[in-house]
Amino acid sequence: MRKEDVDSRFRGNDKVENEKERIDSVFEKNVEEQLAEVNWDELKAAISARLDEAERGKTSKSKFPAVFKVAAGVAAAAAVVFVATMVKMEKPVEMPLENGKHAVVEFIEARGSASVEIIDRNGEGKENGSRAAWIIIRMPEPALADNGTNGHLRDLIRLF
Amino acid sequence: MDEDVLVNESRQASSSDIGRLVEASQAGARGAFDELVRLYQRRAMRVAVRMLGDVNEAAEAVQNAFVKAYLNIDKLKEPGRFEVWLLRIVANTAISQRRAAKRRASGIKVTDCHEDKGATSLEDKAVGEELKEAIQVAMRKLSKKEAKAISLFGLEGLSQREVAEIMGCSVAAVGWHVFKGRQKLKVLLKEYL
Repeated sequence: MRKEDVDSRFRGNDKVENEKERIDSVFEKNVEEQLAEVNWDELKAAISARLDEAERGKTSKSKFPAVFKVAAGVAAAAAVVFVATMVKMEKPVEMPLENGKHAVVEFIEARGSASVEIIDRNGEGKENGSRAAWIIIRMPEPALADNGTNGHLRDLIRLF
Repeated sequence: MDEDVLVNESRQASSSDIGRLVEASQAGARGAFDELVRLYQRRAMRVAVRMLGDVNEAAEAVQNAFVKAYLNIDKLKEPGRFEVWLLRIVANTAISQRRAAKRRASGIKVTDCHEDKGATSLEDKAVGEELKEAIQVAMRKLSKKEAKAISLFGLEGLSQREVAEIMGCSVAAVGWHVFKGRQKLKVLLKEYL
């Protein structure tokens, strides 16, 4: 390797090092200036006040009677059973989509899962000679409740 | 008290002393935790200011971090490793806070003493404010890992292995994030370099 190449490599490294140093020094100067503004006693007092608050919260939580916890659990379980029953009772709903297509929305119990079935490909699924496309959507009630049936249908229209 | 003295104080309070304070805190001694706050608030602030670029936001993050540490102190298995554990909480809290769009006032009064401690003229003060804002904006443009690496790397008394431990990655990865972070800062802060 020629001397000039070696020198230029070292000059390159020096340049990188200088840049690193400049960034670090600008950065550090800013930190130092900002830390110089801090009133440490006030900060400690503020932390202490926050800890007092947290301690009070912790204590009141631990004193919360167990009977209320059990009651809350029972109420939650009852709500789950109620929702499950409602979901089971729901009948499939037929809903028209745009472009003459239709969808059947069927509520299912399996939470977190959904399926879409297209039954008009290859000419199947036509009713009364119409050219409607039939789509069966199976999804849990909570998903519909959260997002709204129309929202899902809009998404499906975009897909098909 | 001088910053270096306090850094040394927290570093040299031997790990067994720190361990004892942590154990006492775990046993419910609030005074022991207050002592840990006194020993580590400056280091926590240094990390948070580096990461957030604003002293008021940093103060808020540090308060939140100490509350989290206090509420979870019983989960710390190695009391002698309190510093690494605490700084991880500080870094994560600052990162979460960075996401918040709205700045919240910290309630910590900042003494207006620029003239006494460095900036000697209004011009200097204006440049300082501008730089502060530029750094704040630049830090928000770094990825989470780059911001953490830049903020923790080179922190006095913290080894690269400890930085890696705080970040949950390898030492080599820390170096890479520092490199990438600096590259971005070089572009974002070019007017000030």
